[in-house]
Amino acid sequence: MSRKFFSGPFILILPSILAIGFVIIIPLIFSFYTSFTSYKLTRPDSLFNFVGLRNYERLIDNTKFWYAFGRTILFLAVVLNLELLFGLGIALLINKITWGQRTLRTIMMFPMMFSPILVGFQWKYIFNDNIGLLNNFLYLFGYESAIPWLIDKYLAMGSIMVAEIWANTSIFAILLLAGLLGIPRDPIEAARVDGCNSWQVFKNITLPFLMPFIFIALTIRSLDVGRAYDIVHIMTGGGPAMRTELIWTMIARIGYKDANMGFANAMSYVSIILSIAFTYYFFTKLVAARRDLGQQ
Amino acid sequence: MAEVKLKNITKKYGDVIAVQNMNLDIPHNEFLVLVGPSGCGKSTTLRMIAGLEEISGGEIYIGDQVVNEKDPKDRNISMVFQNYALYPHMTVEENLGFSLKIAKEDKEEIETRVKEAVQILGLEELRKRKPSQLSGGQRQRVAMGRAIVRRPDAFLFDEPLSNLDAKLRTQMRTEIKKLHQKLKTTVIYVTHDQVEAMTLADRIVIMKDGVIEQIGTPLELFEKPATKFVATFIGSPSMNMIEAKITNISGELYMETNDGISVLVPKHKINSLAEGQRICFGFRAEDIVPLKFGQKPKNSWSLKSKVNLAEPLGTETLIFTNLGNTEVVSRMFTPELVNSNDDLEFALNLDRTYLFHGDTGLAI
Amino acid sequence: MKQIKKIAFWLLVLFLLILICLPGIWIFVSAFRPNPEILSKPANWIPDRWTIHQFTQMFSINGYVSVPAFKYLMNSVIISSVSTVIAITIGMMGGYAFARFNFRGKNSIFLSLMLARAVPGISLSLPLFILFAKIGIINTSFGVILVYVAMNVPFTIWLTDGFFRQIPKEMSEVARTDGCTRLQAFWNVELPLAGPGIGAAAIFAFLLSWNEYALASIITRTVHSKTLPIGMMDYLDEFTINWAGMCAIAVVMIIPALILTFIVQKHLVSGLTFGGVKG
Repeated sequence: MSRKFFSGPFILILPSILAIGFVIIIPLIFSFYTSFTSYKLTRPDSLFNFVGLRNYERLIDNTKFWYAFGRTILFLAVVLNLELLFGLGIALLINKITWGQRTLRTIMMFPMMFSPILVGFQWKYIFNDNIGLLNNFLYLFGYESAIPWLIDKYLAMGSIMVAEIWANTSIFAILLLAGLLGIPRDPIEAARVDGCNSWQVFKNITLPFLMPFIFIALTIRSLDVGRAYDIVHIMTGGGPAMRTELIWTMIARIGYKDANMGFANAMSYVSIILSIAFTYYFFTKLVAARRDLGQQ
Repeated sequence: MAEVKLKNITKKYGDVIAVQNMNLDIPHNEFLVLVGPSGCGKSTTLRMIAGLEEISGGEIYIGDQVVNEKDPKDRNISMVFQNYALYPHMTVEENLGFSLKIAKEDKEEIETRVKEAVQILGLEELRKRKPSQLSGGQRQRVAMGRAIVRRPDAFLFDEPLSNLDAKLRTQMRTEIKKLHQKLKTTVIYVTHDQVEAMTLADRIVIMKDGVIEQIGTPLELFEKPATKFVATFIGSPSMNMIEAKITNISGELYMETNDGISVLVPKHKINSLAEGQRICFGFRAEDIVPLKFGQKPKNSWSLKSKVNLAEPLGTETLIFTNLGNTEVVSRMFTPELVNSNDDLEFALNLDRTYLFHGDTGLAI
Repeated sequence: MKQIKKIAFWLLVLFLLILICLPGIWIFVSAFRPNPEILSKPANWIPDRWTIHQFTQMFSINGYVSVPAFKYLMNSVIISSVSTVIAITIGMMGGYAFARFNFRGKNSIFLSLMLARAVPGISLSLPLFILFAKIGIINTSFGVILVYVAMNVPFTIWLTDGFFRQIPKEMSEVARTDGCTRLQAFWNVELPLAGPGIGAAAIFAFLLSWNEYALASIITRTVHSKTLPIGMMDYLDEFTINWAGMCAIAVVMIIPALILTFIVQKHLVSGLTFGGVKG
């Protein structure tokens, strides 16, 4: 490395790298190591009991894990797509409003600021079969039998998805609205003169201009997919009968309840790779979308 | 290929009137330029023709159809925008073919027409590039190509050259003119630059505050300005303009300036003037020349004055001097050295002075 | 026809507003409701009687403490504020470097920092728990602060990079030709100009710490370092839930967050959309 590397920018970035190194990188190296041991919290000496790839083999053989993994992928696919779709719809809606747009935009942001744990609690309260807002509301219309939203094995997952979508749609709405407001007027007018109807304008001009914003939202969003843990943890705890178990709640269960750290760490690595893959994928898409628009 | 007609066109934004009662007939194949200072309503007019702006009153015809209620896409016009409005995510070729693709033309037809436009504008090398990889002039050309490809009834240009540097602007101006000769289509062109208007137009419409000041060929506007505004707007440097009052000195009418300088009223104007009338008289820079370096006109008035500043431009020299307290500019075409503070005698060609009403600004 | 469209449009907007606001409002109302009312059936939409019982109890105004909410609140305030100040300081330095300098591996370093942020809290909590226990900073505010600093740095870099990029380079160049050093130019010109944006980044960092659960639930153990989101779980035991109490603590948690959001909303959006290294 040349001396230049250690000047200016490097010194400015160094503290960030140190902080991340100490809190994220070193622990990850450590956990990578423990994923090759039979480390159990209750038996400290097991830290040095090297078992090779056994944890990973167990992972591959573990059907419960694969269920949780598949469920997580399905969960993310459904939730991210719906959030994007609703966010786009809301952004288009608000973009049409001239009066009170700012106020509406501010209100839109509020769910973003709810702690996931709070979102989970809030929806646990709403979906409660006995005292929940939803069942009370249905009661008004004559549905007197309480629907067990969080206890039924199919409804529970749907309920969690509703909570997750409620909390995160606004990120998409806000960013896409910013994108809509930033589209120059001329290309749209040019397209109208060129013979486009409103749907064609949307498809050929508006949407390509929105692409970078869609990927910014997806990138930012994918940084935080792991926070779904909080919501599931408080709403169902992975139940009923593990029907809502996602990879993150399974890590917590194996790691802390069963104290099986080595195995849990192996699973952690899968979840980390999952998050990083999502983020990386959307980030490269973002760069490509910007290049496509000539924004470098 | 069609004529465009505007009948009593009005545009209001709330209480503000942007364009008022505008009437205009643009015959087929004419190159018409709308010119005026910013905010005069020229762009609004163009955008109403394009259908991008709703019309508050009156009717617009393209061909023999009223198009007031038609969407831009149904008017069969093309527009070139000030900042080109190229689609940044499409290549040059895709930009050019876009309107045809939307119109569901078949592929071969699109290809031949795009090819044709590419050849006309010399864009062969750039077909696969994106707008961000093009220079200003190249983008301008693509924007024009996009308009050509549609084979529209009329081309609309909205200040297309104002984002280019001076040299490119002159070059593109020539290209647009050539293009018009080749394509033989109606062109409506908006600019605030009078030089552009003069060089390009078959006819010019000068607008001010939403109203047409004058319509005419470039030479008509230059030689016979209908109003004081037109007189000062057309021509560079701007026409010298001096306020005066008509006085009678021993039976002859004089124009007396506010500083008490009296100039004899040109003979052919005498009958249309009355004593005591307030007027403006104007003359172009080339009609007041230093006697020493030029010929004395047949009918002239002479002014002895000190030079404030001289700007030698090569083929011509601009000399700034004072007529009373008003600064006037003189233009001479002989390459003589003139210095500031030189005392010179100027001759004003009285046959080429323009007189305007003091209040209305209308030509006398 | 146009009229119907317009009405349908505004109904849709209204529906949206209800969807966004109702859950929060319901929590808020429940926090001020007498406990028996929560269980009443059919529901009592508007409380017969408003009470601040839950709050007085929570903040032990009448001497009896079931949940030490005040201590949790203080922990949350201290941990969130301190970690925000540190994260913003070092994150801003990084953001400035990415916005203003060109150096080898810039994009990869930026991406790596962002990817470090993508590590899910629960996955990170396992090794952190062990390591922090080993070096004795488990269950301390210091440990939690350290974690939150690292978690907030990448996103702060993303945001501040965007804000600095929006300030023309010439601004600092003019200042430097006027006799400033690079640092003085930064301090006197670029920092004030980026001020509102950095404020937004700070509030974003604050909220992330304020709202974080997965990590804190593992590395805080007692009242000594527990934050509000963890404290909230005190109301939830194996078989019963104190709904009213949870609603009340939820209100305590959400009000500062809403106020802060309100202050920064405008700058936040522009920072999010501008950031992310463009080459």
